[in-house]
Amino acid sequence: MRKKIIEMRGIVKTYYQGTPNELEILHGIDLDVYEGEFLSIVGASGSGKSTLMNILGALDRPTKGHYYLDHLPMENVKDDGLSQIRNKKIGFVFQTFNLIPRSTALKNVALPMLYGGVPRSERSRRAADLLQLVEMSGRSHHRPNELSGGQKQRVAIARAMANDPAIILADEPTGALDSHTGRLVMDIFHRLHQEQGKTIILITHNAELAEETERTIRLRDGSIVDNRKNNQYQLGGYYESV
Amino acid sequence: MNLFENIRLALEGLRANKMRALLTMLGIIIGIASVMAISTLGSAMTGSVTKTMDKIGGKNIMVSLSPKNYDTQSTLQEDDLITQEELDAFRNTYADQIKAISFSTGMGSGRLNSGFIHKDVSITGASPDYGLVNNVNLVQGRFISNRDMDGNRNVIIIDTTLRNNLVGVDGDVIGKEVQVDTKSTNETYTVIGVYEKMVIDNPLFYMGDDTRVECFIPITTAKSLNPDTANTVGYESFTIMATSNTDSAAFAQTTKDYFIKGMSPLSDYTIEAQSLEAIASEATGMLGTLSLGISVIAGISLLVGGIGVMNIMLVSVTERTKEIGIRKALGARNSAIRSQFIIEAMIICLIGGIIGVGLGSVLGITGSTLMKFPSTPPIGPMIIALCFSMAIGVFFGFYPANKAAKLDPIDALRYE
Ligand SMILES: Nc1ncnc2c1ncn2[C@@H]1O[C@H](COP(=O)(O)OP(=O)(O)OP(=O)(O)O)[C@@H](O)[C@H]1O
Ligand SMILES: [Mg+2]
Repeated sequence: MRKKIIEMRGIVKTYYQGTPNELEILHGIDLDVYEGEFLSIVGASGSGKSTLMNILGALDRPTKGHYYLDHLPMENVKDDGLSQIRNKKIGFVFQTFNLIPRSTALKNVALPMLYGGVPRSERSRRAADLLQLVEMSGRSHHRPNELSGGQKQRVAIARAMANDPAIILADEPTGALDSHTGRLVMDIFHRLHQEQGKTIILITHNAELAEETERTIRLRDGSIVDNRKNNQYQLGGYYESV
Repeated sequence: MNLFENIRLALEGLRANKMRALLTMLGIIIGIASVMAISTLGSAMTGSVTKTMDKIGGKNIMVSLSPKNYDTQSTLQEDDLITQEELDAFRNTYADQIKAISFSTGMGSGRLNSGFIHKDVSITGASPDYGLVNNVNLVQGRFISNRDMDGNRNVIIIDTTLRNNLVGVDGDVIGKEVQVDTKSTNETYTVIGVYEKMVIDNPLFYMGDDTRVECFIPITTAKSLNPDTANTVGYESFTIMATSNTDSAAFAQTTKDYFIKGMSPLSDYTIEAQSLEAIASEATGMLGTLSLGISVIAGISLLVGGIGVMNIMLVSVTERTKEIGIRKALGARNSAIRSQFIIEAMIICLIGGIIGVGLGSVLGITGSTLMKFPSTPPIGPMIIALCFSMAIGVFFGFYPANKAAKLDPIDALRYE
């Protein structure tokens, strides 16, 4: 039995709380994620996927409900503690890459280690290794505006891996890429999942990509309406099937 | 995250916007440069005043009888004059504070003749201590003695240029007789000494282009030659040389009080005593007022500069909202964001301060060289200026930095 890394109970997110145009976006989400799982979240635009992802990533706090990350009740964690959790336990990959434009690829990858207090030489060494992992070594001294979308996303994935987090949260990482480039990025996630045992939560609009993951959750209007294992998926079997 | 990393980040940020950073620094540069220029100039001036004061006798106190009221005609009465006995008593009372007392009286200009040589000179009647009190640099012979005084002798001390004219550089002038015509006298004197004229190359002490040679004769001789003073026994003015550990300004007041007590309240005259130090500090005080004025301007320019820095930091925070969101998502604490922006503001101000110190020093050195008191920029104000500019950075950078630190990570990430 795999270890439970995420446990959500009755998560509610309400915007404009206490005002006449109060807006409840998530209506009591219960969700368990196990260590080393590759999970996908699908659902129509506006169904609350990103909102849920922000709470999972400790960027936002739920209005109601309990969230345990690695058995730690998050409601007890102060803001600086959340910063530390984002730094050490979570790696974000965004649809629009969100690289720092003034910094080189290498510096972008090293950034989470900077905030994590890793010494300088160790930072650049590890950042170079990570760029190698995503096959971006040749571009380590380029700035984001000198890179293609797919290259930027590879740098972003390397950055998400910087502090060797337990969980990678990817919000439509292939959304801004063509299908071929999206495929390359998706392959990297599979590799990270299988070779390094990362827990990956992937938000996608692409049903085929969702099928490739272990389990898919469907959100509709802020509630989970479907939660099922994908038959197609076999641990370690992905590469053979392509 | 450490300071070094923050400085690196700040420099990266500034490099991306060089022109903007420079324009922002302008207020700081102007403010610091003017403070630096004025303090360089000021220290040069004070230094040169002190040096010149030492040369001409900074411990001297000039005492003189002066009319209580300059508008009405007042005549100096015989018993207003300060007698030798009064002076001796005074000198005994304050023996440990007085090094010497000298007297002098100007006899005006005249013409010195010797054979075919005729030179315009000015004649000063002096007492024996005059040489000590006024730093007369005797290079040959001797100064006026008590015997010369007692005997109203016709002896004279000339300067080196006059000697060169009379007998050449190597010639012996001691004992030579010269004849001097003034408005009312026509006397023959024996040369007893030669002095070298003091060169004061300080424009603050500029006393006119008097090319006439000053010659000294015994004050008693001078008095006896003047029909107005021939029969008086007191002095109208004298100079006290205080000992080196005496506060000459305070002692001037003591002197004044002492002699006023001895004067008739009905006299038209009173005693004025002023120390050279006090006169000099008046001059430096004027400089102080000037530099205060410039400091106010500098302060205003620093304030405006600081507000400029705050403004540009607010713009920068808004421009980089998304970047702040990204940094927070990657685990930057609020304090890390805050110090990043404060240090950026500090670096802007520090660079401005360094440029200002450089510019101000160059201006100050140029100015003081032009005014003939070359100097080096003072280290103290330099360090203060740099610290102050960093303090401006912290002060005006805090608000924008705090604003950045408090941004909600999600709102910041969403910012387009
Ligand atoms: N800060 C906010 N204030 C008010 N409403 C918000 C805020 N953030 C999100 N919402 C609302 O919450 C709902 C869910 O948004 P969310 O971004 O989670 O959708 P999503 O499922 O990620 O959509 P998409 O697939 O388009 O990215 C939307 O209706 C959105 O308008
Ligand atoms: Mg979304």
